[in-house]
Parts: sequence; C-alpha cells; structure tokens
Amino acid sequence: MHIIVCIKQVPDSTQVKVDPKTGTLIRAGVPSILNPYDHYALEKALAIKAKTGAKVTVLSMGPQQATAVLRLALALGADEGVLLSARAFAGSDTWATAYALAMAVKKIGSFDLVLCGQMAIDGDTAQTGPEMAYHLNIPQITFCESIDANGNTVVVKKLIEGGHQILQADLPVLVTMTMPADYVAKYPSFMAAHKAQDKQVLTWTDADIGADPHKLGLEGSPTRVDRIFPPPARAKGEIFSGSAVELASKFVEILKKERVVK
Amino acid sequence: MAKNDLTTRNLMLDSLKQYAKNRISFNLLREHDAKNEIPLDILKEMYDHDILGVHLLLIPEEYGGLGGQTTEIYRVCEQLARIDLGIATGVFATFLGSDPLNVGGTPEQKAKWFKKIAQENKLVAYGATEADAGSDLVSLRTRAEHVVQNGQVVGYKITGSKMWISNGGVADIYTVLALAPGGPSWFIVEKGTPGFTQDVHEDKHGIRLSNTAGLAFDEVYVPAENLIGLKEGQGFLQAQAVFGYTRLMVAAFGLGGGEEAVETALEYAGQRIQAGGPLSQKQGFMLKLITPHYIRFEAARAYIDWTAKQLEVNNHGLATEGAIAKLYATESGNKAAEDAIQAMGGFGYTKEFAVEKIKRDVKITCIYEGTSEVLEMTIFRGRWQEHLKSRGQYYLNQAAEFDALHAQNPDVGADSVALGFRALARVLEDCRANKLTRHQYVTFMLGDLISEMEVAAVFTRQCANKIITEGSRFDLNSLCTMARVNARQSAFKTASEGLRLILGTCPAINTADLSQAVNLVGIEEKMRGLIDDMDTVSAKLREIFKK
Amino acid sequence: MIQIAQNCVGCGKCTTVCPFGALSLVNRKAVASNACTMCGACVSQCPVGALSLPASTAAKKDLSSYKGVWVFVEIGTDGQTQHVRSVGCELLSKGRELANQVGEELCAVVIGSNVSPFFAEISQYGTDKIYVIDSPAYAQYNTAAYANALGTLIKKYNPSVVLFPSTFVGRDLSPRLAAELFVGLTADCTGLAIKDGNLIQTRPAFGGNIMADIKCPDYRPQMATVRPNVFKKVVSAPGKMAQVVTEMIAVPVDAAKVRVISTQFDPPATGKKLDESEVVIAGGRGMKNKAGFDLLENLAAKLGGTVGASRAAIDLGLKEKDKQIGQSGVTIAAKFYVACGISGAVQHVCGIEHSDVIVGINKDANAPIFNVCKYGLVGDATQILPRIISQLETKK
Repeated sequence: MHIIVCIKQVPDSTQVKVDPKTGTLIRAGVPSILNPYDHYALEKALAIKAKTGAKVTVLSMGPQQATAVLRLALALGADEGVLLSARAFAGSDTWATAYALAMAVKKIGSFDLVLCGQMAIDGDTAQTGPEMAYHLNIPQITFCESIDANGNTVVVKKLIEGGHQILQADLPVLVTMTMPADYVAKYPSFMAAHKAQDKQVLTWTDADIGADPHKLGLEGSPTRVDRIFPPPARAKGEIFSGSAVELASKFVEILKKERVVK
Repeated sequence: MAKNDLTTRNLMLDSLKQYAKNRISFNLLREHDAKNEIPLDILKEMYDHDILGVHLLLIPEEYGGLGGQTTEIYRVCEQLARIDLGIATGVFATFLGSDPLNVGGTPEQKAKWFKKIAQENKLVAYGATEADAGSDLVSLRTRAEHVVQNGQVVGYKITGSKMWISNGGVADIYTVLALAPGGPSWFIVEKGTPGFTQDVHEDKHGIRLSNTAGLAFDEVYVPAENLIGLKEGQGFLQAQAVFGYTRLMVAAFGLGGGEEAVETALEYAGQRIQAGGPLSQKQGFMLKLITPHYIRFEAARAYIDWTAKQLEVNNHGLATEGAIAKLYATESGNKAAEDAIQAMGGFGYTKEFAVEKIKRDVKITCIYEGTSEVLEMTIFRGRWQEHLKSRGQYYLNQAAEFDALHAQNPDVGADSVALGFRALARVLEDCRANKLTRHQYVTFMLGDLISEMEVAAVFTRQCANKIITEGSRFDLNSLCTMARVNARQSAFKTASEGLRLILGTCPAINTADLSQAVNLVGIEEKMRGLIDDMDTVSAKLREIFKK
Repeated sequence: MIQIAQNCVGCGKCTTVCPFGALSLVNRKAVASNACTMCGACVSQCPVGALSLPASTAAKKDLSSYKGVWVFVEIGTDGQTQHVRSVGCELLSKGRELANQVGEELCAVVIGSNVSPFFAEISQYGTDKIYVIDSPAYAQYNTAAYANALGTLIKKYNPSVVLFPSTFVGRDLSPRLAAELFVGLTADCTGLAIKDGNLIQTRPAFGGNIMADIKCPDYRPQMATVRPNVFKKVVSAPGKMAQVVTEMIAVPVDAAKVRVISTQFDPPATGKKLDESEVVIAGGRGMKNKAGFDLLENLAAKLGGTVGASRAAIDLGLKEKDKQIGQSGVTIAAKFYVACGISGAVQHVCGIEHSDVIVGINKDANAPIFNVCKYGLVGDATQILPRIISQLETKK
C-alpha cells in the first residue's frame, strides 16, 4: 500500500499580527510550522503504515524553505519527500495548486490513498483536497476524524451536520482529515530528526511533472485579489474604565438597558 | 552520516520547544522551585529516546549517539535555558561529565561508557570542584592511591570530597578528578560503589530545579580500567581542553535566560497601559530597560555562533574565545534579567511572573564554569600575550581590517570598531610601558574591555558579510542597526574606561595627550544618530515580540 | 513576479500593502523580490496603474452567455425529518439582491428525495426558478452523485453565479465542481456584491487578519461558499411560487465507490447551540485557565446564554473545539454577545459581527475588540466577572 500525504508549510497563525496603524501584516519573526491539519493527516498515515507496512510519501508545494516541513514528516516516519518548487507555481490559487499537486501525485505513480489536512490555517479554504481528487479522477471523502485502511478499502469517520457517518470507500481514494479537539501533535526525537537527513527529498519543477503551463500559477488561477483592506471598524462604542467593582456595576446596567435581564 | 544541517537543528529545537510547551508548565517550574526539587521525571523523559533523547547529542555516532556539533549543542543549551536553567544545568552536567571521556578516553572506554549512557539514559555528573579548588584546580585534595596486586596496579582507592556538584545526588555515573601518584587524573565512579556517598542537596539562590550536592569518597575502590585514558597525570590537560567548548555552552545559558526575561518583560510592557499608552511605546522605558539588552543578546549570539563554527573546525581549544563568549553573554543575561524585574515593577518582584526566578537562576552562569573574574583574567592573559608578541600590532591590524570593511559597508559600525580597536591597542601599550598590569584590577578590567571589543567586532563583521546568525528573529537591516549601536558603545566604553584605568594608576601621564591618543573625541563624534538607531531597534522589538 | 511599469512614481503605497513584504523601493522605483506570490493585492493600490499581473495567454471564454444567480439549497436532516437548511434561505435572500442588480433570475437548485414540500418555503425569498432533481437515489449526499447532477445542470444552463452553503456538504461539493468546471471558488465569504459585472467576494485572507475582495473576471460561473448566519433572511415575495423545473439525471456508477455504513446524529446538546443562542458569552486567552471559563459558564447560566471561545482559548485547551467562534469556527448572530479576554483578531470578529450588541471586556485598552463593540470595559475579565455574578445574585 502506498499513501501520499499532502502537507503545507504555513505561518504560525496564532502569531500573525496586523499593524494597527497601516492595517498591513507584520511578517517579521513569525515562525513557520507544519499546517496542524496536515500534521494530523500525516500521523494517521503513519498509523496505517505501522499496521500494514504501507509506504508513506509526503508531498508539498512551496518555496525551498518548505523542505523543513518535509524533513519534519520524514523524521516522524514518512519514507520519501517531494517538494514542488518553481517560479511557475507562483500566484497559484487553490485550483492551480490542486492541479499541480495532482500532476505530482500522478508522477509519483502508483498510490492507494491520498491524505490531506482538511484545510491550511493560512487560507481556511478546505478546497485543495477535493479539487485534487477531481484532477486525479478518484473519489473523495472530506472532514474525516479517523481513518482505517485494510486491503482494498478504507473506513472513515466523517463529520456531517449534527453528527457523523461511518463510510467505506474503495481504493484509491482521497481523504481530508480534521483533528479532534484534544489532538496534541507529535514531534520527532532528536535521533529521528538526525536520521531524517539521510532520507530523500526530491525537488520537482513544473517541467518535471509535465503540467500544462496554462493551468499553473497565475494563469491557471481563476481567482484574482481585487483589493485588500483592514476590516471596517464599527462605530466606536462607549468605552468604560475603572475598578473591577465599578465595571461590574456598569455591566449590570448594560444588561438592563439592553433588556437581557429585567 | 552527514553532520546535522540547519533544518535538522531547527527540528530538534522545535521538538524541544513543543515538549516544554506540553509538559513543563510555569506552575510545575514554580512548584519545584519552591520545593527546591529536581523534576527527575522530566529529565528522564527528556532522555527518553522516543520522546527527545537530548543526551544523545553529546555521544558520538559510533556509540549510538548522534554526534552533535558545537552549534546544535549550544543552540539546544540556549533553548533549555529559556525553559529553565535548573533543568538546563541538569542536562548540561551530563554533557560536561562525559567530556573528560570524550577528550581523553581510550576507544574501549568510550565504547563501554558512551554506550551505557546512550542506551540506559544515565545521568552523569562532573566531579572537579572542591572546597579549596574551584577554577584553581591546583589545590586539588582528593587522592587516588594505587592498589597493587602481583606488582601490577590493578585499581585505585579514592579518598576526599567534592562540593557543589551538579547532578551530585542523582547521577548514575560520575567523572571524578583526583590526584594520583602520577598527577591529577579523571576516574569514572559509579553510583553505589562502596565508600562513595552523596551529601544532601544544597539550598541555593537559584537553579533550584538542578540537584547540587557534595560527594564524599572514603577509600572508594575503582578498577584501573576506570582511569580515563589509562594514563595518570592527564587530568588538567583534559579539563583545559574543553574549556572553550563548555564555556560556550554556559554562554548560551546566559543568552537564553536573558532573552526569556526580556521577552517576558516586553510582552508585559505591550499590555501595561501607563499614561494613555502601552509601556512598550514609551521611549525611556525601552531605551533604559529593554532595547540595550536585546542589542547585546544579538551581539552575543553572533559571537557564540561564530566561536561554535570555529570550534567545529578546530575541535578543541579557543579558550580565550570561550571565555569572552561566556563573560559577555552571562553578564549581559544577568543584567538583563535584573532590568526585566525593574521593567515589570511590582509584578516583576512577585513569583507570579517568571522574571524573578530567571534573575535568581541566571546569576549562576556568572559563577560556574569559571567566574566572571576568572574569565577576565583568562581573557587578559590570552590577549596580552598576543599584544606583546605582535609588538602592539595585534589590535592595530584588526583596526585596519575594519577600516576596509567600513569602506565596503558603511552601515554596520565598522568605523567605530576600528576606533575602538585603536583605543584598545593604545591602552594596552600604555599599560605595558608603565607596567600598569601590576594592578590586578587593571587586568580584570582589560579583560572586560577586550571582550567588549572582540564581540562588537564579530557582530559587525557578520553584519557586513550579510550573515544573519541562526536563531535570530531579526532581519539583516535591523541587525545592522544593532551592530552600529553596539560598536559605538563598545568603542566609547573602551576609550573612556581605558582612560580611567591609566589615569587612575599612572599619575605621570598627560590627560589631554592620552585622550587624544585614544581619540575619545573621534569616538564621541560617532554617537550622532545613536538614539534614533536605538528607537528603530525598539520599534522592531515591539513588532517582533508583539503577542 | 508582479510587473512594474516605467511610470512608477516611487510613492511606496504598494510596499505597505504587500502581504508578503515582497515590494520595496530602490532608487525611488518599486521593485519586487522573490517573495512575490503574485497575489495581486498591490495592483489596485497603485495611483498611476504601474502594477499589473502578467496577462493571460489563454483564449478568453465568451462570458456573455452565462446568466442567472443560483443557490444550492441543501436539504438537511436530523435523522427523522427533512428541512431546508436555514443558510440556503439566507443565500437566496442575498442572491435576490445580486440578481436584481444585474437584472437576472434567481434560481434555487434542490437535490434530494421527496423535496417538493419545501418549494413554497424556498420560493418566498424571491426565487424565480427551482431546478429539482428528486429521486430516492439522491436521498443521501454522495459526492460523485451530487457533483454529477449539479455539474450537468450548470453546464446545461450556464449560470453566472453559484452560491453554496458553507456546510460539510457545500464544502465537499463546491470544490469538486470548481475543479471540473475550471472556475474560481471563494470559501466562507463574509460579503458578496456585484461590481462591473463581476461578483466581488469578500473574505478574510492571509492568515485571517486582513480582508480581501476576490473576483474571477475571466471565468464563469463565479462560485462562492457562505457560512450560516452571515446574511439575513429576507422574505421578499411572500406567497409567491417559483417555477419548478424538474430534471432527471442518473447517478453515475462511480458513486458506489463510497458507501455509507452508518449515520449517527449527536443527541441534542444540553443547552442551546452557539449559532442559535440569543446570548453568547465567550472567553479568550485572557480568561487564563479553566477557572476563568467556569466564571463564563456561571454568568451564561444566569443570563440563559451559551459559552463559546476564541481560537486562542481553544488552542490552550480551555474549551471544546466545536465551541470556537470565528472564521474557522462557528459564526454567531446573537442578540447579546460578550467577549471576555478576547483581543478581537479579524478572524474572531468575522464570526461575531452579525450580533446586535457586542460587549468587550479586555485589559488592553488598544485591543481591536474595542473597535467593534457597542460597550467596552477596560479591565481584567477574571476580576470583573465574579463581581458581576455576585451582583446578579444579590438582585434575586
């Protein structure tokens, strides 16, 4: 069995800040991390590997620095890494990203399962996985909390509105994972980090994956940013300060005024 | 297997950070600090191969370790110090304790003991210090006497005592320095050896999560094969050989502890509203209590990293550089922690915030592995020789190098470094001509000025070469601004302090001539724009550490 | 890389808006570095029009034949009975507005089994037409079946806009279709408008702290997903009945590759759901610990409200993940919302801005939450809340 896990390097969004005056992003010193959903998907793939002896390949698209997340994945137990990196990919929206990743998956060759995080925390779109599944012409199951693979099928627990479903699917299939609330990501030991250096990370360009240039980067991206702007401020409300007791009384006043309590 | 690359180092550091985030809460630290107790379960987890396995860094690959290079070891030390200096000391003691083995052990000894440490996750302690023998190991009292059988030395009986040994009460393996008939020698003593006892854990000012205890040896028998290197009299050499390296690790402790304190204070200052705005927006607050410290941290980082890279090429040695790194970084860290309390006012003085503990902890870095005063003396001696050997040209040559750097890159303060080096050369030369180094105080202070200038020089040179030291969160522009500020201040300190020392010890010298000779006015002239530069750094600090 | 024309005047406006810091001024001209991702954020900022993205070399589609605003109206179920998901009605209301602007039809697409009872409800939001695929084969959502059905309809009728609910179904279906149709898709829009014939889709971007307007000028249909509670339901045509167009589309064989083994609905949660509560009390990092959240529970109980949390608090493990309020959690539209110890990052504000009254309690007087709240209390919520609770208790 061969599992391909798609991963992305993202800024640690809990630390992304905006300059209150100019409304632009503050980029300096924001560390990059492995997208947590992808981290979870990877751990699930490795769990299947532990059980079935599957081979796990990790695939990412991004600048050379993204090698860091591939290396993390290798240290955690993935077998091989592939980085898609070229100027031709710049400006890709989810459509073009999914197309390029799918072309890379096809080049990797035989696979049984593609696992993705549900979404990247720097985009929150949850689109790339399903779009890839279309390009690979395989079924997709999205928003899964758990996955188990055996032989020719996978069984997943998928979230639905107000509950969940247990689904079974034939391989090959693409599954996107969402992590449970109590998920704590695993990190490699020092020795595992050390040994991951000897595992292979291939870097492929647009030419390597035989992609149609009209479907890559900006050209292959239907969406355009029209403008960016800081969020509109509401009319500034009344601001109160004082001791805790004074503010508590003020709050109770507000409750009455807004008829929350009588 | 290849040496670890930057990505691998960062992976290790991320794992360490994540482990600390999930497992070592501030409350846990606070409780153990209050109870004066080592968190042994945490140390054991950090040694667990599947969790972190930090100790494997110091063990060569052929013995089941990962043969960490100086760079990753110092960076791990810095990160450990940011977590807790007591825990850091516990880990470091194992590093330090196995160093005599690393330097002097025979292949068989290394195989036996390193494998044991690697596989069984043994804690190691380094037993050198005695009541009368600290940095000055010559007064060593612990003896190792021959045990002879059939005319052969089959073992040793060790008698004596050690004090203030990190991991003293909890280690499994001890490397112990004792005076053998052939001279000072290192011995491996295992816990539980008859006659070997450990004293109770010290009640210390700081690093209370580190176990510190005295050791007592009453005719403790160790087989001859436990003599490191199987040759007597190598002990001092083996101890000296690693000073450059071990002191670099403590330098990283000072840096890490200081950074943690200042960043805690800065985070607080971003939220503390005073007179209509956060404290971090107040110029006086930043320029007095925060910004200068962070500039020194970046200088220290550049210097430590540069020294580490040199050590990786030269393996051992660089005793003067190690001493400079430690003196500069630990004194900077210590002063910064002090100011971090000040920056947080009453809050900083309570145990609700980490800075109070950091302040107590970081003080040890100015003491162990050579006190600041011993280091000043070491640095002075090392460079005094160079000054004499080169007939006063040592720093003048470097000044010329920095003049050239300034011509290429005028934004990194290389002009100030050149001025500072010339002043330093002049001060050293006056000290020689007037025999001023007969004053011990002068030699201490010269050691300090030398370290000040050499660190400034390395920081400036790294910036001129567009090198962003790994681990720094700043962009090159900000680092250049910092290097500029740092070079000016170091040059000024060197010239003015040098004047003070010479005039204070040598009444014959003409004040005006001397101040012209060290070019005090020229150095003062460079101060233009200094406060603007510092404000720029403050703004960057606010941006980077805003929560 | 972004193209910079010679007429650049070096004003530097673009350098401050670049989300990736890729633009800088060199010799009073803008220069782009390798960090440029060609996101296009700078293009509209240039006062002299010197910035542009490389022109597409692909043949332009003729877009004039694409007409009509479509809404995929999801039929939900709680395991017993079916109902129209409310977000569908919200989208129809917004869709009516957009359709009016361009003078086109508003159409609903309903796929399912036994869905005719819902046509009247769907019609009252001003729906002109309902495309229906009604067969037992569509009783359960299946990606391949639904994507084939909706894709067939889109290709047959060429709508200009297709809106999807940002539900598990909508977010599964829409990207699959977008990939097949080679069109753009914008997730979780917080605003939709028509400008120069293009659908302007507003959403937080680049990590969620800044807003972006997205458009797809060269591709049709324009597709977007929208979360529940973002738009208001407006019954604009009470009693009106839309024209119903029934289509028969067979389920493709591929659909059988994914099989439902079992479906389980959570027991009705104790207390109300966040997005249905009139009073919501939420906590952030500033509540510090579980004890802080106990205070929130206590206050919520007194006010008949529900407790939620910011992403930061969820990350700290102070609250279950399904109680996260914000762009990547639940969007609420409460009558009375209190944010305690929440700074108010854009990603959070997006999830609360449709609430009537917002009260912010935060130590930091500069916290962005104070820019959106009707009442702001500058102080430590962990200190103020116990006093509010005791004051409410003594009242009784």
